[in-house]
Amino acid sequence: MLLFQLPFLLVFPFIVYRKCFVDPTPSNTGRGKLTRIETVWIFSAVALFVIANVYSISYMPMSKTAATEASGVAIQDVDVTARSWSYEISDREFEVGKPVRFSVKSVDTMHGFTVYHPNGKILFNMMLIPGLEKASSLVYTFTEPGKYKVRCLEYCGIAHHGMQDELTVVKATDKSS
Amino acid sequence: MLAATIRRTPLLGKMFEVDESTGLSDINTWPAMMIMTSFVWLVVAILLGVGMPVIQMAEMGSDLFYTAITLHGAALAFPFLFQFMMGISLHRSGGCMGKPASGKLTALIYICMNGGAVLLTLAVLGGLKITYTVMYPLPLVGAQMGAWSMNMVVLGFTGIALVLTSMIFLYPFQIIRMSFFGEQREELLLSARSLKDPGMLGMVMSIMILLVTGTPLMIVAGALLLALYGIVPLEAVTWASEPVVFQYVFYIFAHNLMEAMAIMVISAVYATLPLYLADGTRKLYSDKLANLALWILLVTSVTSFFHHFYTTNPGLPTALSYHGNIMSWGTGIGAAFSIFTILATIWKHGIKPEPGLMAILAGFVVYILDGVNAMVAANVAVSYQIHGTLWVGGHAMSVLIAMTLMWMGVLYHHYPVITGKKLDKVLGNRFVTLYTIGAVGLLYSFAAGGAMGMPRRFADWDAGGWMSVGVAILVFGLFLIAGFFTYMQSFFKSRAIS
Repeated sequence: MLLFQLPFLLVFPFIVYRKCFVDPTPSNTGRGKLTRIETVWIFSAVALFVIANVYSISYMPMSKTAATEASGVAIQDVDVTARSWSYEISDREFEVGKPVRFSVKSVDTMHGFTVYHPNGKILFNMMLIPGLEKASSLVYTFTEPGKYKVRCLEYCGIAHHGMQDELTVVKATDKSS
Repeated sequence: MLAATIRRTPLLGKMFEVDESTGLSDINTWPAMMIMTSFVWLVVAILLGVGMPVIQMAEMGSDLFYTAITLHGAALAFPFLFQFMMGISLHRSGGCMGKPASGKLTALIYICMNGGAVLLTLAVLGGLKITYTVMYPLPLVGAQMGAWSMNMVVLGFTGIALVLTSMIFLYPFQIIRMSFFGEQREELLLSARSLKDPGMLGMVMSIMILLVTGTPLMIVAGALLLALYGIVPLEAVTWASEPVVFQYVFYIFAHNLMEAMAIMVISAVYATLPLYLADGTRKLYSDKLANLALWILLVTSVTSFFHHFYTTNPGLPTALSYHGNIMSWGTGIGAAFSIFTILATIWKHGIKPEPGLMAILAGFVVYILDGVNAMVAANVAVSYQIHGTLWVGGHAMSVLIAMTLMWMGVLYHHYPVITGKKLDKVLGNRFVTLYTIGAVGLLYSFAAGGAMGMPRRFADWDAGGWMSVGVAILVFGLFLIAGFFTYMQSFFKSRAIS
C-alpha cells in the first residue's frame, strides 16, 4: 500500500507547491519531453497492473484450496451453520499441519465467519449469504497450536458484536492422546 | 418564493441567499436550496460520526451505537453528499448548457431525496438498525425476531425507495433533459461547453451509470415494497425477495454509485482546474488523455463490483472473482491517467493559490490515497483477510470525504455566481488545512484498524483491544469537524462583491 502511496505523497504536493508558490510561471519543458514522460508513465501503470494481477494468482485462497485438494492429502471436513447470533460447528478441534475444509452456511440473514490467529490477526474470512445453494467453502491449514477466535464480520443486527466462537488447534500428537 | 425560503432560513439563509439581481435565478435558486439542505444533513452526520466513538468510550450501549451508525452512513452518503453534488452539478449544467435548473422535476428531486431521508430517519429512530447498506434480508429477519416492528421496515423501505427514485431516475432525467433537450437561453449561458469537454462528458457518463445500474435495484425494491404494502402477496415476488438477488442488484448499483460520483467529481476537477492556471490559458494538458481516463474508469468500474463477493466462493465462481480483481485494478489505470493529466497541466501552466483549487487538489490527494487502499482490498488474497474490517469501512468513508472536499472546492468557485458574494481567503486556506489533516488521519486510522482485524459496524471496540484506533478516529474526526465549521464560517463572513 505504502509502496504506491509514498511516491505519490512526495511528488504530487511537491509539484503543486512548486508551481503554486515557488515558480508559477509557465514551464519551459518541451512538448516532446512531456510526451516521453507521459509514455513512460502510461507504460509503468500498465506494467504494474499486469505484474500485480499475475503475481497475485498464486496467493488467492481458491488457488491454495485447489492445490491442496489436488495433492491428495486427507482433508478434515467441517460444517458450520451460522444463525443470529451463534455458530453450529461440527468440529472445533484441529491439528497443526492438517488441512481443514470449512463449509459455512447462514440460515437466516447475512453473516460472516472470520477466524483470528491468537495474535489478533485475521487468517481468513467468509461472507455468508442465506439461500445460496453452495456453502461458502475454503481449505485452510493451521500452522500453530492455540485458541483461535471466530467472529461475525457482517453486521447482522443488535447483538452482532456478540456473535463469536472459538476453535482449538493442537499439535498432531495432542489430539490423538 | 424559494429564494425567500432560503433567505428566511435561520443561520444558513445568510450564507446561501441567492443573488436575484443577475437574472440567473433559474440556475441558482434550486441548487442553492439543495446545497443548503445538504449541509443540514451533514451537521446531522457529523454529530452522529463523533457520537460513535464517544458512545463506545462511555459505554452507552450497543443499541445507540447501531442507531448512530445507520443514521450516520445514510445521512452522509445520500441527503448530504449526493444532494450536495446534485446542487452543484445542476448549477454547472445550467451554466454550461444555458438551460434552467428549475421546474417541477427539480422540485420533485428535492422532495423525494429529503422526504425519503426523513422517513428513513424516523424508521431508524423507531428501532430499525440496518446500516446504510440495508444488509437484506436483515430488515425482515429483525422484524421476525422482534428487534424492530414491521411498520418501521415499511416506513424505512418507503424512505429508501423515495431516495433511490430521486437518485436513479429523477436526477438523471433532469441532467439528460438539460444536456440534450430544450431551448438554450443566452442569458443563462455562463461558460458554453460541449460533450467533448471532459467536464461535461463525465457528468453525462455518471448519470448514465446511475440510470443503467440503478434500474434493476428499483425493480427489485419496487416489488418488495408492493409486497410490504400488502398490494401483492410475498410469494408473488420470491424472485425479488431472495437475499442473493437483492445483494447482487444492490451492489451492482451501490458500487457503481460511488464510481459515478467519482467520475462526476473528477470531471468537475477537469472543468475547474484550467480556470485557475497561472498563465490564463484555461486548457488542460490534454483533453484526450482526460477523456480516456474517464472512459477507462467507466468501463472498468462497471463489473469491478464483484469484489464485494469474493469471500462467498464458490457462491461467486473463482473466474468472476479474478475478473473483479482485474477490473478493480483497471480503475487504477484510469486514476493514473488522471494524475498525469492534472500534474502535467499544473507543471506546464502553473496555478493560482486559491482556496477552492487547493481544496480540489487536496481532495484529489485523499481520493488517490483511498483509491490505493481500495485496490489493495480488491485483491482477492488480501480481501480474504480484510473484508468486513474497518479497512473497508474506511475506504467507503474516505471516498465520501475526498469527494466532499473536492465538491467543497468546486463550490468555492461557483459560490460568488450563486450569491453575489466573495469568500475569505484566510478562512478558506484554514479550512483546507484542517479538513485535509482530518481526512488523511482518518484514512490511515481506519486502515490501521482494519489491518489489526478490527471489524466494521461493531459495537464492542474493546473486544480486541482496538480502542486506541477509536481514539485516533475521534481525534481526526474533530479535525474534520473543525475544517467543516471553518468552511461554514467562511460562508457566514462572505462579503458582497460590489
